[in-house]
Amino acid sequence: MRVEVPYGGPRLFLPIIWLILTFPRKGIRVKQVFSSISRDPILGLLLVLPLLLWVAATLLYPAANAVYISFSNVRYVGVPAEFVGFSNFERVFSEREFWNSVIRTVIWVVLNVVLQLVGSVGVALVLNQEYKGKEFVRNWVILPWVLPTIVLAIVWKWILDPTHGVANHLLMWLGIIERPIEFLSSTTWALPTVTLLNCWRWTPYFSIIVLAALQTVPRELHEAAAMDGASIWKRFTRVTLPSISPILKVIALNSFLWSANIFDTIWLLTRGGPLSHTTTLPIYIYSKAFRSFRFSEAAAASILMFLGLLFFVILYLGTLLKEEGAGR
Amino acid sequence: MKVMRAFFKYLSVAVVLIIFVGPMVWVGINSLKPTSELLGIPTFFPKRVTFEHYRHLFDRVAFLKYYCNSFLVGVVTATVTALAGAFAAYSVFRCKYPGRHFLFKFFISSYVFPKVLVLVPLYIMFSKIGIIDTPLALVAAHVMLIAPFSVWILRAFFQGVPVEIEEAALIDGASKVQTIFKIFIPLAAPGIAAIWINAFLMSWSEYLFASTLVVSDFTKTLPVGMAYFLQEYAIEWGVMMAGSVLIAIPPIIGFAFAGKYFVQGLTAGGVKE
Repeated sequence: MRVEVPYGGPRLFLPIIWLILTFPRKGIRVKQVFSSISRDPILGLLLVLPLLLWVAATLLYPAANAVYISFSNVRYVGVPAEFVGFSNFERVFSEREFWNSVIRTVIWVVLNVVLQLVGSVGVALVLNQEYKGKEFVRNWVILPWVLPTIVLAIVWKWILDPTHGVANHLLMWLGIIERPIEFLSSTTWALPTVTLLNCWRWTPYFSIIVLAALQTVPRELHEAAAMDGASIWKRFTRVTLPSISPILKVIALNSFLWSANIFDTIWLLTRGGPLSHTTTLPIYIYSKAFRSFRFSEAAAASILMFLGLLFFVILYLGTLLKEEGAGR
Repeated sequence: MKVMRAFFKYLSVAVVLIIFVGPMVWVGINSLKPTSELLGIPTFFPKRVTFEHYRHLFDRVAFLKYYCNSFLVGVVTATVTALAGAFAAYSVFRCKYPGRHFLFKFFISSYVFPKVLVLVPLYIMFSKIGIIDTPLALVAAHVMLIAPFSVWILRAFFQGVPVEIEEAALIDGASKVQTIFKIFIPLAAPGIAAIWINAFLMSWSEYLFASTLVVSDFTKTLPVGMAYFLQEYAIEWGVMMAGSVLIAIPPIIGFAFAGKYFVQGLTAGGVKE
């Protein structure tokens, strides 16, 4: 098919890029110090050029191309495609599976953000205590995030295996369940299980960031509150939470954007099954493209997903860059 | 009371460790058990230690080939990322020219950009120019995924290098390019090493783009190769677990060396000092 971007392609995309890059205006300036080399503009541009060209060729151009593909009927690579207007979008909209995966993505994202926030604060509070081996624990608790997703999939598929897995053996031995649970292949358990496993992976990562924030909370504040007879819970909600809430906001947005885009964890654990009960939008798009080979519909769905996330991307950038401005 | 408090403190730390580190340790132990033991009632320690699964991995599966492919893609991606990322970060954070703020925003934006959008176009584009199913295609995609984030991490490191040192080198008669390569880069080396390792590990783990851009047995990377065996009905658990241990080793070593720098970079980006 023809992959040249037609007249409309990049132009359709420009407003969106412009929007992202101009929206977070406040606090955007990064404080800089200059030496006399740095006042050489040509050298500066030469240095940034390689990465800029690379990203333009592999991200910007393909992104513009996605718009083109979604408005044409690409079936096979190499066969010329024609402009078909909005018909790919119409087809995607009329599919029940698309809407199901939209709803599932919303559930998935909300569950992930809430559990990861609560989990990371909880883990950070545990790690923030005074105990022996502090360095060791704080370094290695992040292990789930260090491991490749394929390792996560093998580890948990083994542990949760209905016949040989240790989880079912343990639960049955404790008398909690009578027969093994099919954690990853029953329609009731698959989505909660995959959600928990994704949280298992990201919670330590965020908890390290929360931990760093916790250490900036002045100790005197806690002591003063304790002197005034505030309970542990009161001290947590009145002293700790307000002082770490800016970082929690960044984490929530981060977790939101990452969860929405997660593909490999779900795919490697369940392939979107059973009966597409774990099919979120990235899985839907991937199977549309590389299982059914409907590239144009996949591109249309990915553009819809992008537009859905755009607001949050802008919000995230705004927050990130504002934090930046305030922090320096 | 005091004893109770200490007990609960260590109990909570132990629970956290068991939840997050336990599963990998469990798999590490299990990879040493013979198959008969794996399929029976689980015991913590193996009754008999065997390395047969590790041997089978190399005999029956093209594991070594996948390992080499992953390694190649990882090293090239990391090197390109470290070079291009360091240059770009120097330019954006240290140089003064119109549009540098725009470029900085551009890199940050491309880091949070939903990458699924470019999956299909990249696949079609690489098919068309004939580099699909080659390591080159995967390197191209991985650098795009990782490098913008590296620019962001380098910011904290580059701010730690005083400008006065550069000035001194210039006064001593070094050229601008010499100053960057001989004075600045060595001083920022820990940061550049950290992003090299990080890029290698991200490339090592990446699945989505790898599964579409490299598909034949000669070019598959580890995650793609192993994922294929994970979907079979009768999974050979021993072999899979041995494989997962070997895949996990480079990230664990890399993290042991560079983790501290990396976590510093992460937290410095988000937390106000």
